Amino acid sequence: MSMLEIKNLHVTVGGKEILKGIDLDIRAGEVHAIMGPNGSGKSTLSYVLAGRDGYVVTEGSVRFKGKDLLEMSVDERAAAGIFLAFQYPLEIPGVTTMTFLKTALNAQRKARGEEELDAVRFLKLVREKSKPLNVSDEMLKRSLNVGYSGGEKKRAEVLQMSLLEPALAVLDETDSGLDIDALKTVAEGVNALRSPERAMVVITHYQRLLDYIVPDVVHVLSRGRIVKTGGKDLALELEKSGYAEYGADAA
Amino acid sequence: MSEKETQYFIEAYEEKRAALPGAGGWLARRREAAMDAFREAGLPHRRLEDWKYTDLRQTLEKAAFAPAPAHEGAVVLPGRRSASAFASIDRHVLIFVNGRYRADLSQVAHLPKGVELHALADVVHEQWAKDLVERRFDDARQAENIVDLNTALMSDGACLRVRKGVKLDKPLHLLFVAQDAGASHTRNLVLLESEAEATIIETHVGEVASFTDIVTDIAIGEGARLNHVKLQDEASDAVHLATMRARLAADAKLSSFALTLGCGVSRGQSFVLFSGEGAEANIDGAYALRNKQHADQFCVIDHAVPACTSHTLFKGALDGKSEGVFQGKVIVRPHAQKSDGRQMTHALLLSRDAAMNAKPELEIYADDVQCAHGSTVGELSKDSIFYLRSRGIPEDEARRLLVLAFLDEALDLTPHDLARDALKLLVSEWFGEVAL
Ligand SMILES: Nc1ncnc2c1ncn2[C@@H]1O[C@H](COP(=O)(O)OP(=O)(O)O)[C@@H](O)[C@H]1O
Ligand SMILES: [Mg+2]
Repeated sequence: MSMLEIKNLHVTVGGKEILKGIDLDIRAGEVHAIMGPNGSGKSTLSYVLAGRDGYVVTEGSVRFKGKDLLEMSVDERAAAGIFLAFQYPLEIPGVTTMTFLKTALNAQRKARGEEELDAVRFLKLVREKSKPLNVSDEMLKRSLNVGYSGGEKKRAEVLQMSLLEPALAVLDETDSGLDIDALKTVAEGVNALRSPERAMVVITHYQRLLDYIVPDVVHVLSRGRIVKTGGKDLALELEKSGYAEYGADAA
Repeated sequence: MSEKETQYFIEAYEEKRAALPGAGGWLARRREAAMDAFREAGLPHRRLEDWKYTDLRQTLEKAAFAPAPAHEGAVVLPGRRSASAFASIDRHVLIFVNGRYRADLSQVAHLPKGVELHALADVVHEQWAKDLVERRFDDARQAENIVDLNTALMSDGACLRVRKGVKLDKPLHLLFVAQDAGASHTRNLVLLESEAEATIIETHVGEVASFTDIVTDIAIGEGARLNHVKLQDEASDAVHLATMRARLAADAKLSSFALTLGCGVSRGQSFVLFSGEGAEANIDGAYALRNKQHADQFCVIDHAVPACTSHTLFKGALDGKSEGVFQGKVIVRPHAQKSDGRQMTHALLLSRDAAMNAKPELEIYADDVQCAHGSTVGELSKDSIFYLRSRGIPEDEARRLLVLAFLDEALDLTPHDLARDALKLLVSEWFGEVAL
């Protein structure tokens, strides 16, 4: 079944066309990698899927599990199973990570007509999910992402993902700024979620992450267009040749 | 002065003075002098610097409050949650209806030896009450003049004296209910002798067009400590004017926190005067306003002696067409070295039509001091809202979380843990209420 179907997607930001006709078909169970030089439109694509304001779709369509994604609000998309791990997770002073996670999980459960988790069941679940990601209780008690190191922020994003169990996870440069140990931890967290019912889009600038999260399909995005699609070997090729032939400006 | 509203108060005074507490004694003479001064000055208006953002004259002229009647019968507490916010705290409760003490409704268990608690009429013959009522902090301060109106017309109040070294066993809760429309003038007197301790919780609720004029005069002796928590949540056509004057002796400590859910127009004035070294005053608060509510915080801290510490933080959320005001001043007198004074105010505008006027000032005449002041006005971050929503949190809930997070820094300064939790709950419920 098609999880995400993007057809001829054109997007402008601040009046400037950034995505210039994207076609993408992602099926349940698949992991797609999107690679490309800086400024090619990778984050733009991820924000359009999440529904961020200011990203205007001028042409084309996006269907998620058969439904028109562009008709849905940001939080409806999340409740329907879309998750974006942010390239730059936001800091929210005064809202503890624990409160945030509980509010988010229960809001999604409520939107889906499921029973909300009480404090005890929630705590048990959060502990179970935090452990493999090395997220400590102390971190959970702090304000969301405030004072977290780069690596902690990325681990917190993966924790959110494993707790919310989305149908489609989009990871925007979750590897950037991570040392090799942190990268492995994050990759294990992501791999643990791989399943026949779930699809993933892994956005990365470097091939390195794909050693640990092995993709089924690799796309190269350049200047707002998918210019090449291939198997996992395409990532290795790019590692050798760089993005020069795809119009990297200053990458 | 012949404006209409001044006339209302003058007539009320002429009519009632014989029946007011203290008739025939020093207080009657003091009332007379206060009334003369009030007649002379009239109600304050926006051409006075201290009243620049809150024109009390205009507000009261429009509302035209007659004196609130004495209410004898049963009282139905307003449906507002604020009325019962502190119900689960073990406390002494004094209930005032239309500004008058109602012994029949109050619950004051046996008080510890050395704690005296009386209605105003029962203490006016005592010297300490006289000292507190007659005390004026600053002859030149425009904002303090309005206390004359209260002095002339004050009809009742809670008067607490805690003797040397005595601790009030549980919080004293003063619950003021405006049951009928009209004006009431209340005077509270608080004297903590050296090393004494007390916590006072104050609630103002009502669902009628009331004008609450309340003055609380406080003296805190050496090493004594007073905690004060105030919650104000009255009707949209009510006017609230509260003045607190606190004098702190050496090593005394005052921690006051006010949550203003407001009414139509509210003004909270705090005057702190340090009279002994090593004292500390925390005058903090939070407010959440909507519709056309207007709330003004006015705060003067006078470091008249060396080595005292003051801290002021007010944070507020303004929705609808509401308006917030903060006017504050930290004064450090020439010889008051080693003073530490901080005054901050931060407002969050939740709508385009809301407005904030903030004017924190420092007036420093000593050189070896640590003082800071500042103010910010901001909006909720769109990016933060997007981040929360992208996790499935609906927009309203995301905004609520962010506003509560913003106000928490102030609410955490509430000097009583259970009261703090009660205030936090009220603020979180404030969002669920339908705009009127
Ligand atoms: N808010 C914005 N306003 C205008 N241009 C933007 C905005 N955000 C991104 N862009 C531009 O869109 C292009 C794609 O950016 P982005 O999607 O972040 O690329 P990538 O994630 O591949 O590095 C860049 O040229 C960038 O400058
Ligand atoms: Mg990017």
